Amino acid sequence: MREAVIGFINRLRECGVRISIAESLDAANAVAAAGLQRGRMREALAASLIKDEADRPVFDREFDAFFSAGGKRQSQPRRGQSWKGMTGQHGRRSESPGQRPPIKPKAPPSSQSERRPAMQEQPGGKDAVGDQQREVEEKAGLRESQRDKDRAAATAARNRDAELRPFSAYTDLDYEQALKALEPLRRRFRVRLGRRMRAARRGRIDIRRTIRASIQRGGALVDLRLRHRRPRHIDLLLLADISGSVRYASNLMLGLAAGARECFRTVHSFVYVDHLAEASLENGFLNMTPLLDLYARSDFGRVLAELVHTRRHLLNRATLVVILGDGRNNRRPARADLLRQVRRLCRAVVWLNPEEIDRWGTGDSAIAAYAREVDELRACRNLRELAQSLTAVRVAGSNLNQ
Amino acid sequence: MKITQEFVAAGLRNARYVTNERVETAVFLALALEKPLLIEGPAGAGKTEVAKVLAAMLGTELVRLQCYEGLDEARALYEWNYQKQLLRLQADEAQGLGWEQLSQHIFSREYLLERPLLKAISSPHKAVLLIDEIDKSDEEFEAFLLELLSDFQISIPELGTIRARHRPVVVLTSNRARELSEALRRRCLHLFIDFPGIEQERRILELKIPDLDSALAAAAARFVNSLRKLELAKQPSISETLDWVRALVELGVKEIDLPAVRATLGLLLKHEADRALAESKSAALLQRAR
Repeated sequence: MREAVIGFINRLRECGVRISIAESLDAANAVAAAGLQRGRMREALAASLIKDEADRPVFDREFDAFFSAGGKRQSQPRRGQSWKGMTGQHGRRSESPGQRPPIKPKAPPSSQSERRPAMQEQPGGKDAVGDQQREVEEKAGLRESQRDKDRAAATAARNRDAELRPFSAYTDLDYEQALKALEPLRRRFRVRLGRRMRAARRGRIDIRRTIRASIQRGGALVDLRLRHRRPRHIDLLLLADISGSVRYASNLMLGLAAGARECFRTVHSFVYVDHLAEASLENGFLNMTPLLDLYARSDFGRVLAELVHTRRHLLNRATLVVILGDGRNNRRPARADLLRQVRRLCRAVVWLNPEEIDRWGTGDSAIAAYAREVDELRACRNLRELAQSLTAVRVAGSNLNQ
Repeated sequence: MKITQEFVAAGLRNARYVTNERVETAVFLALALEKPLLIEGPAGAGKTEVAKVLAAMLGTELVRLQCYEGLDEARALYEWNYQKQLLRLQADEAQGLGWEQLSQHIFSREYLLERPLLKAISSPHKAVLLIDEIDKSDEEFEAFLLELLSDFQISIPELGTIRARHRPVVVLTSNRARELSEALRRRCLHLFIDFPGIEQERRILELKIPDLDSALAAAAARFVNSLRKLELAKQPSISETLDWVRALVELGVKEIDLPAVRATLGLLLKHEADRALAESKSAALLQRAR
C-alpha cells in the first residue's frame, strides 16, 4: 500500500500539486489509520495532501484514475493529459523568484499498470461499495450539489491559475481570465491593506499622558498610554508602460490600484509609451488624454522629462511613485538622472518589472541604469506578485521616515 | 479510549451534527494522528461548530482563541497581572522585605493571567483548542503559532518551561480573508466545509427544529440552495436558514409561497442589494423549489 501512496503522490506532484515530504508521511499515516475502505481512504489522503480546495478536483480525478479497481482504464488515454500540459506551461505555484516551473514533463512510464496498482484487498467488494454509494447519492439528489461544488472549485482553481500565470506568456484570453480574477484579488488587497495600516498605527508610549494617568494611582505607572500615530498621507503616482510588451500587467495594476483609492490621499495614474498621458479607468476600460500611439516605440527618458517639466507640482514629499515597465527603451537615452531628480523630490520611487528576471538588462533593457535611481526594484511577473508588491509598497511608504 | 472512525461518526451524530464522510474522516485523523486540523470554508457553514461538537464528544473543555488583527502574545498566551503585582509590591514594601522574597512573590502562578493558549497547554485534561478565524490575525502571530503547534511548550522566563501534559486537539478555522502561509498549511490536516447540499440541509433543519413538517423542510432547503446560486454579496448561512425556517414555523406557514418569502426574506439576506435581487427572482426560485 505504501508504494501505492507514494506513486499517487508522485502523480499529484506531476499535476502541479505541491506536496512536501512531511505531508507524504502524514498521508501514509493517515491511510494506515483510516483503513482501505475507498471513501475513507480518499478523504484521508485529501485531508493530508490537499491544503487548498482549488486542488480538490484534480485530486478527485487522479484518485479515481489511479485507484481504479483492477486497473480497468489502462488502455484509455489519460483524461488529465491536456490539462497537465497546460499547467506545465503555466508553471502553477512557481511564484517564488527565480524558481523554475516545478512540473517537469516526465518520460511516460514503461508500463501503465505498474503505476496504477489496483486496490489489492477485495477489489470487487470495494467497487460494489462505491457503486452502491453512487446510487444512494443519485437518489438523494446530491449529484447536483456536487456539480455546483465542482464548478465553484474549478472557478477558484482558474482564478488561482490566472493569478500565477506569468505576464510574459499572456494572451488576450489570459487577460480576460485575469480580469475575472481581479475582483477577489482587489478585495483581498483592500482588506489586507486596511489591516496593515491599522496595525501600524499602534504606537510608542506617550510619556506625558502616562504620567498624568498615573497621578490617579498615587504615581504608580499602572496604565500605559500609547501615542497615537498620525496617519501619514500618501499621494500615489502611478506610471505604467502600456506598450505591447507589458500592457497587460499595466492594465491590471491600474485596475488593482483603482480598488485601493481610499488607502491614499490622492491617486494620479499616468500611462506612457513614448509620451505621458493621464489615465483613468472607467468600468474596466482605460481612458487616456491625450491618446497615445500604442505601437510607437517606448521612450521612458522622454516620459521622465515630461513628468518633471509638466507635472512638477505632483512631485513632493508625500508622493509615492510607482513605475511599472520593463525599462526597454529602444536604445534611446535612459535619462536616469531625471529619475534621480524625481526620487529626490518624492517620498519614494518603486519600480515594478513584469519581465522574467533573467531577461533584465539584456538587449535594449535599461533597467540596470534605472535600478540605481529607485528605492526599490521588484519583480512582479504575475498577478499575485503584482498585488503583493502593491501592498508592500503601500506599507513601506507609510513607514519610511523621511 | 480507543479512537476509531466509527466512534467519531457516532460521536458527531450524538452531538447532533450532520456530517459526511469527509468531515468524519478528517476529524478522526486529527484525533488519531494528533495533528492540528485546519478548516476552511464560507462563513456560516459550520466550521466553528466542529470544534464545539468535538469538545462535547470527548467530554472535555473547549478553549477558544478568537483571532483579530493586532492579536499579540500577551493576549493569546499569558500576561503578568501588573496591577496585582504592584499591590503586592506595595504591601511587601511596608513589611520591609528584600528583593529576593519580593521577586519570588510577584513572579508566581498567582500573578499570571492565563490566556487561551497557555490554558489549553496547562490543562489537566486533553482540551480542545479552537483557534478561530486565524486568517484575521497578523502574519507574525501565525509564525509564532507555528512554533507552538510543533512542540506544545511555552517558556516563561520567570517561571521556566511549561510543557503540555496532554497535547490539546487543535482546530483552526479560516475564512480566507488572507492566504495562510504554506508552512502552516503543511503542518495541518485540511478540511474544506462548504454549504451543505439540499439533502444534508434538510436533515439539519429536521434535526434542529423538531416540530417541522418534512415537506416544508425539503422545500426550504431547496429554496435556500437555489438562493445560494445567485450572485449574492453574502450567501445565507446555515444558522440564517435555521432562523428563517423557525420564523416560518412561528408564522404558521404551511407552504412557502411568494408573500411568505417577501415577508421573511430579511432573515436570510442582510444586504439590501441581495434582497432586491432575490425578490426579483423569488417567483422563479419558488417554482424550482417545489
